[in-house]
Amino acid sequence: MTSGYGRFALARAGQAAVVVLLAYVLTFLVISVLPGDAITNSLRDPQSGLSEADIQRIVQYYGLDQPVLVQLALSLGRFLTGELGFSLQSNLPVAQIVGDALPSTLTLASTALAIAVVFAIGIAYGAHYAPPRWAGVLRSIPSFFLSVPNFVIGLVLIELFAFRLHAFTTTDPNSATATLFAAVTLAIPVSAPLAEVLIASLDHESRQEYALVARSRGLAETQLFARHLVKPSALPSVAMVALIMGELLGGSVITETIFGRDGIGTVVQKAVTGEDQPVLQAVVSLSAVVFVAVNLAADLLTPLLDPRVNVREEANA
Amino acid sequence: MSTSNPGGTTRGKDTTVPETKASPLLSVEGLHVAYGRRKVVHDVGFTLARGGSLALIGESGSGKSTIAKAVLRLLQPAEATVDGSVRLAGTEVLSLAERQFRPLRGRQLGFIPQDPGSALNPVRSIGAQAHEAAALAGERDAAARRRMILEVFDQVGLPDPVRVYDSYPHQLSGGMLQRVLIALTVLPRPSLIVADEPTSALDVTVQKLILDLLGDLRKELDIGLLLITHDLAIAAERADTLVVLKDGAVHEQGPSAHVFAAPRTAYARDLQADVPALNPDRYRSQRPGGPRDELLDGTTADATTAERPAQIAVTKVTKSFRTRGKEVRAVDGVSFAVERGRTHALVGESGSGKTTAVRLLLGLEQPDSGSITVGGHATAGLSRAGLRDVRRHLQLVYQNPFTSLDPTWRVGRIIREPLDRFGVGSTADRADRVRDALQSVGLPADVVDRRPAQLSGGQRQRVAIARALVVRPDVVVLDEPTSALDVSVQAGILELLARLQRDLGLTYVFVSHNLALVRQVADTVSVLRRGQVVEHGTVDQVFDRPQHPYTRALLDAIPGTSGLALPAVAEASPEHDNIQKLAEAAL
Amino acid sequence: MSADLNFARLRSAGAASLRTRAGVPPTVLVSFLVVLVVVLWSLFPSLFTGYSPVNGDTGSKLDAPSLQHWFGTDYLGRDQYARVVYGTASSVTSALVAVAIGLLVGSAIGLASGFRGGWLDSTLGRLVDMLLAIPGFLLAVVIVSSLGFQTINAAIATGVSAVAVFARLMRAEVIRVRRSAFVEASYLEGGNRLQALLTHVLPNAYRSVLVLAVLQFGTSILVIASLAFLGYGDPPPSSDWGLLVASGKTYVTAPWLVYAPALVIVATVLSINRISRWLRNSK
Repeated sequence: MTSGYGRFALARAGQAAVVVLLAYVLTFLVISVLPGDAITNSLRDPQSGLSEADIQRIVQYYGLDQPVLVQLALSLGRFLTGELGFSLQSNLPVAQIVGDALPSTLTLASTALAIAVVFAIGIAYGAHYAPPRWAGVLRSIPSFFLSVPNFVIGLVLIELFAFRLHAFTTTDPNSATATLFAAVTLAIPVSAPLAEVLIASLDHESRQEYALVARSRGLAETQLFARHLVKPSALPSVAMVALIMGELLGGSVITETIFGRDGIGTVVQKAVTGEDQPVLQAVVSLSAVVFVAVNLAADLLTPLLDPRVNVREEANA
Repeated sequence: MSTSNPGGTTRGKDTTVPETKASPLLSVEGLHVAYGRRKVVHDVGFTLARGGSLALIGESGSGKSTIAKAVLRLLQPAEATVDGSVRLAGTEVLSLAERQFRPLRGRQLGFIPQDPGSALNPVRSIGAQAHEAAALAGERDAAARRRMILEVFDQVGLPDPVRVYDSYPHQLSGGMLQRVLIALTVLPRPSLIVADEPTSALDVTVQKLILDLLGDLRKELDIGLLLITHDLAIAAERADTLVVLKDGAVHEQGPSAHVFAAPRTAYARDLQADVPALNPDRYRSQRPGGPRDELLDGTTADATTAERPAQIAVTKVTKSFRTRGKEVRAVDGVSFAVERGRTHALVGESGSGKTTAVRLLLGLEQPDSGSITVGGHATAGLSRAGLRDVRRHLQLVYQNPFTSLDPTWRVGRIIREPLDRFGVGSTADRADRVRDALQSVGLPADVVDRRPAQLSGGQRQRVAIARALVVRPDVVVLDEPTSALDVSVQAGILELLARLQRDLGLTYVFVSHNLALVRQVADTVSVLRRGQVVEHGTVDQVFDRPQHPYTRALLDAIPGTSGLALPAVAEASPEHDNIQKLAEAAL
Repeated sequence: MSADLNFARLRSAGAASLRTRAGVPPTVLVSFLVVLVVVLWSLFPSLFTGYSPVNGDTGSKLDAPSLQHWFGTDYLGRDQYARVVYGTASSVTSALVAVAIGLLVGSAIGLASGFRGGWLDSTLGRLVDMLLAIPGFLLAVVIVSSLGFQTINAAIATGVSAVAVFARLMRAEVIRVRRSAFVEASYLEGGNRLQALLTHVLPNAYRSVLVLAVLQFGTSILVIASLAFLGYGDPPPSSDWGLLVASGKTYVTAPWLVYAPALVIVATVLSINRISRWLRNSK
């Protein structure tokens, strides 16, 4: 069993590494190949304030005078050794830019994740156990949450709580209250798919014969929920964790812009407007790493949580 | 609690509903159940004495499971409305508040569900779930509960109770799981067990063992049984009283012996006639050929083979699969031959290799060794085109007509598909042949524009048969063609198959787990077990003088052949004589 | 003799299993109505408003909603309702383009992957994993920044980021159908793999993919609005819905400039989601 699990884990980790490399290559090609010579254009921009020597150094570093494939090899080689290069706008190391922005985004994303999980569980539990009228309302909430754009939620929250109720000010976006509201903005669209999956699997599990049998054994609904239904219903959402990470990272671009926070999202936005390719490449590939790592963790966890999953079969698949 | 003789009050010559003591164990009166506006149970009433047993029998849609769930109060109020009276030992339970009813659950009223595979939580160990049942028996100490659990596991005949205790449901077989469920149900010593088709998901031999176990425990512990089943033979064998349901209403009820041997209503008579074990010669007159002695017989094999060349010859065929790193021999040196115009049956339980044997015969899999010839042509190692030629003469009717017909196609196109694919005839010819095929399977011409979802199970199977026959094959493989259908529908399909065989001179390979059915329809039979043929011969040989202990076990497991039914029913005697004898024997 | 009796039984059983077609729920009817209005707005905007979306009346800047100006006016005195109506075509068409890209490319990948299996499946599987590994919105942002800030490029970017979802679903559906008994039966009836693919597998697999396409249409409207909100779509004076919200948010005193287009987005996407759910359940 252990060796089976070891092989399964190794195979999955290998696949994950391949996917990260592929994602890096894809990002590089999209950024570098599609429109002509954006990188040198921005270097030659007189406003960049770079001296001819600086420019020469950058061209040399990225191999800009060489074919794209050589540039890719150079860039990938550096990425594998953990070197992320330098920003074209500020000449700062990309690692430093990302490092400075990360704590703010981490705070935002983890708060949002916690809120989203609470929302989703609350909605799913209510949809299942509330009186029918309320349950119906709760069941339609995920669909509503999925229909409201992130930026509208943010603007409405700011309008209501900052401008009318003065719960926080937009001039101090890093205060606890402002962070909380930003996190709610980010959490609402994330909680919707999670709640939908939870509702569906709770519906499914409670209709299974084992739930009927447990009920016939005299378990009250709350006991049935806690002892029998929670675990199998939560298992499908473990597979969603990676998807949710993606939503959180993507959503932070908009949320940070609206709330005026400095974070990864703002870094992305600045890099896009300034055509700062090394920064863009680094942020996108790092989020792919995060995504793949979380996915890998979920994959490796599933056989440990779910006795039905046979690791041998999985490893061969 | 009184210890009345189990079912004693319900036996007797009196056919009216028997008088019982002041408060019978279970009494149901005027029960109505509706799902929304659809009424599924109308005015159902019956009484079950303490320690007695009663079977609700009916086909799908008869409302039998709904009645069971209403008695157990397992119907969600949001989806079903229940009216009437259900009294458990004199207490009205339908009007009881859930809080007052809950203590009765498990302790008074046990439940054994249909499919043991889905009746235990798949992500919790058996032991963890067993503790819930043990807690109902009032034991607070976990170690003592564990002892109780292991004891009852041992009592129901589970080998290695500790291992079972630590297992997860998917690690045990269906038979073992059903034993676990029975153990958990009897553990708190309820006074009534409701068993909803407790064995229909199990193999026949396991089925018998489980029913025997349930019967023994019931007697030992004086537990009443409400058995829900579609199988009249099982019901008659295992219950004192029968309640025959049709379309949600009671059609006939009374002591088992009476209802089974001398049914009063036409519907119950039909059900009785449709039990294969009771009427081994039911389709004899429709089938081709004369008396059975003329058929291929082990001793005279050479002579007859010379006379009638074998339409199908399977010789020492072996096929292995690799699953989970292990090599499994699904089919191991299997040989059999089928004469033109005859029916050969492959009989076996799950895992016997009968499905693989069929797939090899049809060329869907290639054998590792051995040879298969159909109509004199070898099927192994053929090119795709060669295989296509063979298949024109070799068709298959699948077990489940709900999955074997494309739901997006209309019936006309489904039946025409083989003609289109094999390029048979002109467009007009094809339309004619589709019409003929429909007619020959007894379906009206207007179904050509319907989709499978608009047809019943029996009608779908008729469409599948029409599709197989439309290219006029020589051989039709019937893979459990009736096991997904209700008994009464089964009979219609089998009659049809017998008639078609006689009219068209078809050769059948009939795959089944049901020996009683095989006796009705086949000429020769091979009994398969773990990929090997353990016994073969004519139906009469195998049924009357089984040589292998496994065959004997299979025959013993046929419900309706022990106890009430007559193993020695004379083959030639007309049906009403049978009934007469059955009635005498039962009384 | 008894064949007739059995047949009568079969007939009655068949009639019982005939499903009565349930009516369309009222919320779905309303949803169809909303979508119809949106479609008409994008096809014939001039039928719905007499105002120009580009030229404003400088005498009535930042007016609150009134009978003349249903959604109020902006800082140039342009009728916000007219801007929303004229922005519909671009917002809706680009979402259609995005769905078309995702649907066509994704389904093709999923179909090949699921039907062929083997090495093709594992190769395409890694490709799909690669697309999934980059958070969808980030991928769209990167692509649009590479292609240039235009609404059509935003649509392409959104479509590419949706390819993986379609590919996964199509693959799963194809594998499900491919294993069913009626596909095997078609081989026994002399059919070949291509015939099975075209006549059995596709017709049975495409339904759930179409339901996803409807859902994805709503999602694409949101993603493209978000890209427009960040300024990655067509620049003003075009009036994509997301852009309207973005330019409205600077005028704190005129919240209707934000709420009106926001409500239109929410109503449209909510209706599309409702229709998609209805299609899924009535399958």
